[in-house]
Amino acid sequence: MRPVEPPQVAVEVDGIIKDFPATRALDGVTLAFGKGEVHGLIGENGAGKSTLMRILAGLLKPDAGAVRVGGRTVSVGSVAEANALGIAMIHQELNLVGSLTVAENIFLGREPRTMGFVRRRRMEALAASLLVHVGASVDPGAVVERLSVAEQQLVEIAKALAADATFLIMDEPTAVLSARETKALFSLIRRLAASGVSIVYISHLLPEVLALCTRISVLRDGKLVTTLLPRDTSESSLASLMVGRELSDVFPPKRLPPVDVAPALELRSLCVEPTVFDVSLTVAPGEIVGLAGLVGSGRTESAEAVVGLRDVGRGQVRVFGLDVSFRDPREALATGVAYVSEDRKGRGVHLDMSCVANVTLAHLGAYGRFFPNTAREQSAARRWVDRLAIRAPDITAPIRTLSGGNQQKFAVAKWLDANPRIVILDEPTRGIDLGAKREMYRLIAELASQGLACLVISSELPELLGLCHRIVVMRQGRTVGVVGEGEMTEERIMHLAAGVDAAPRPSA
Amino acid sequence: MTPTEPTAISPSTPSTAKVAFVLERYGVLVAFGGLILWNAVFSSGASTFRDPTNLRNILNQNAATGIVAVGMTLVIVVGGIDLSVGSIMALAGASAILIMNSLLASGMSEWTAVACAGSIAIAIGLACGALNGLLVTLGRLPAFIATLGGLSAFRSITLAIADGGELRADATEVLTLIGRGGIPLVPGSLIGRSTALVVYWNILLFFAIAILGEIILSRSRFGRHVVAVGGNETAARYSAIPVNRVRLITYVLIGGLASVAGLILTARNNSMSSSQLGLLMELDAIAAVVIGGTSMAGGRGRVWGTVLGVLILAIINNMLVVAEVSPYWQGCVKGAIIVLAVLIQRGRR
Repeated sequence: MRPVEPPQVAVEVDGIIKDFPATRALDGVTLAFGKGEVHGLIGENGAGKSTLMRILAGLLKPDAGAVRVGGRTVSVGSVAEANALGIAMIHQELNLVGSLTVAENIFLGREPRTMGFVRRRRMEALAASLLVHVGASVDPGAVVERLSVAEQQLVEIAKALAADATFLIMDEPTAVLSARETKALFSLIRRLAASGVSIVYISHLLPEVLALCTRISVLRDGKLVTTLLPRDTSESSLASLMVGRELSDVFPPKRLPPVDVAPALELRSLCVEPTVFDVSLTVAPGEIVGLAGLVGSGRTESAEAVVGLRDVGRGQVRVFGLDVSFRDPREALATGVAYVSEDRKGRGVHLDMSCVANVTLAHLGAYGRFFPNTAREQSAARRWVDRLAIRAPDITAPIRTLSGGNQQKFAVAKWLDANPRIVILDEPTRGIDLGAKREMYRLIAELASQGLACLVISSELPELLGLCHRIVVMRQGRTVGVVGEGEMTEERIMHLAAGVDAAPRPSA
Repeated sequence: MTPTEPTAISPSTPSTAKVAFVLERYGVLVAFGGLILWNAVFSSGASTFRDPTNLRNILNQNAATGIVAVGMTLVIVVGGIDLSVGSIMALAGASAILIMNSLLASGMSEWTAVACAGSIAIAIGLACGALNGLLVTLGRLPAFIATLGGLSAFRSITLAIADGGELRADATEVLTLIGRGGIPLVPGSLIGRSTALVVYWNILLFFAIAILGEIILSRSRFGRHVVAVGGNETAARYSAIPVNRVRLITYVLIGGLASVAGLILTARNNSMSSSQLGLLMELDAIAAVVIGGTSMAGGRGRVWGTVLGVLILAIINNMLVVAEVSPYWQGCVKGAIIVLAVLIQRGRR
């Protein structure tokens, strides 16, 4: 486990210190990134990974320390300066202009021109070849906001490649990708690295990091713990390096699912235009049901239709045996159904509002009919901070000041604070670290044991396998199978989800 | 309290970031304090400015603007805008006089006629606001467009019912009591005068509405919802907030407040000009809101800032008048102040 030196240094940071109002995010980090290497950067939420990369990408200025590119000390004061140095960052949260087309986004500010006029055809042709390069099957002329999150992510990657980046920072690029898309991305990353591009790869998925990266650096509390070769380490030793202690089992023990209880939530042949055709499932009180499927299989759309965010076409939604048709999440919550969105930044939390206000927002009336009792709100927020081990130095500060994982915990806390009887969690652990995931799993299991009906949508199969009593699998807008406790394997679910099952149903 | 709190709050090192933060948040307070200090202490005309009668007159001239600006703060924080306030003021004023005159003609007592006419005028203002709100929510029109329509239509209705001219009240006794009356709130002994200073009703009303508005925006559940909808409408909808209802209520409120402002000005003059009353009020109100530090993008704002914004504009106007600057130049100064205020408060990204 000896730290190792890179062959030829491309970019180096030396003694970087960065202070935020209440915390020191980086505390003297010195690290060298080699030319053509895939450098894994791991650490818990708030360890400083994103902060360090934002400094390299010109989004933040360090309070002390130097950045060197090719041995020369440089000042990376803006994204433009970073780009000029060949540094590009693909953000965890998407950064595209929704109303522009794919091609326009990829070439934003660098459009191929003749005498000032954009050469649209040429731009779209170039975009098309880049999209093929990253394995995305989207039309260069499509408007970005119509694309799925996964497709947008690929467009983002294509955009960075279009800028001739030689130093590519990827912050959780696979969080929104399906297994197939992830595989394509990895081979792309390896190709790029082979051609001399340096890649910094930030991820919480340790197996990915171990499989992909040539070296791995671990950050903890703003300090570099160590840099290792993948062959010298393992998932569990990386995990304990990240948290600074040994981690016991990630998943809580499964309690027996309730038997013969009337379902709390029941979907019967649900149809939601234009992507969901036939979804049927049940969730009993105290049961944790997983909803698996590839990105674009209609999982989120089905969940949103349940709480009235989308119009239900045919089919029924039943809550405790009664047919319901909620017009909005307000009505759904009044009946005890909560939906925690997968899109934390856009739909889950209000970034400019305080942590406290976010926690109580969904049912503020419980804290006072006209005037919420601030003291009670704060004590509720503190309870969730303790219960979910949220790192929030000041809960009255805007939630924006927290790291993504801690925001996510608050996003979940907001709904649990409303005491739902049925909760639909859409990618509840996206972008949060292992320690936080463990707490989230424990919380879900505990709530279920108290009688809450939980439907968990996730693209991480191990998560569903470890947590759920049953897993419902969707493919192309239809439920194609239910996998019970005894038969749960990743292969079985993937086969169902990808449509290569022994007895596949005819697809739409 | 937990022991970690003091360390989290107290800064380890004072820095320019802190200064910028204070300026961003309390710049309007600093500017207001500076203006007061200059005018009341250092300026050559300090004694004139300090005169309680002068201060009262400044407030009196700006109470109506202030009342509208309080409503505008809510509308802007919810992510909208209301351009129709000036026209609602005129419509309220005109209908009040017409109704009052016809009630008087039918033999009703003056007090009753004023009360009826005032209530109906306020109801008309609320209805105008509701119309704007419905166009914005159910009609899904951008607020700018919906209320631009109102700006034009409500003024046009006013011109039509007033035949484009001035409307005069047939009885002025009660209106004068309301428009120019008040209570002797400041004792003479305090300000070195033989008689107490009468604070006009409209000034008291302005302060009452401002305080109420501040409490609603910063402390109430509705206010929290307004901030949430303005900050991120989608997230608000996902958070079980009745988004359309919240937006509708803000437009109804500003409609009511605009009609109150129109009534104040009408009562003060015992008359109203269908073409002039409330003209360009939307710009003054928006300017005050912006100077007060409320974000035009919505989701962030405060009523107390707006009140200071109204007062800053009023004091500067007073300074220009005292300094005998041509009225033609006053708009230029106002424009510069608006732009400057936003530049200072924009914050660092």
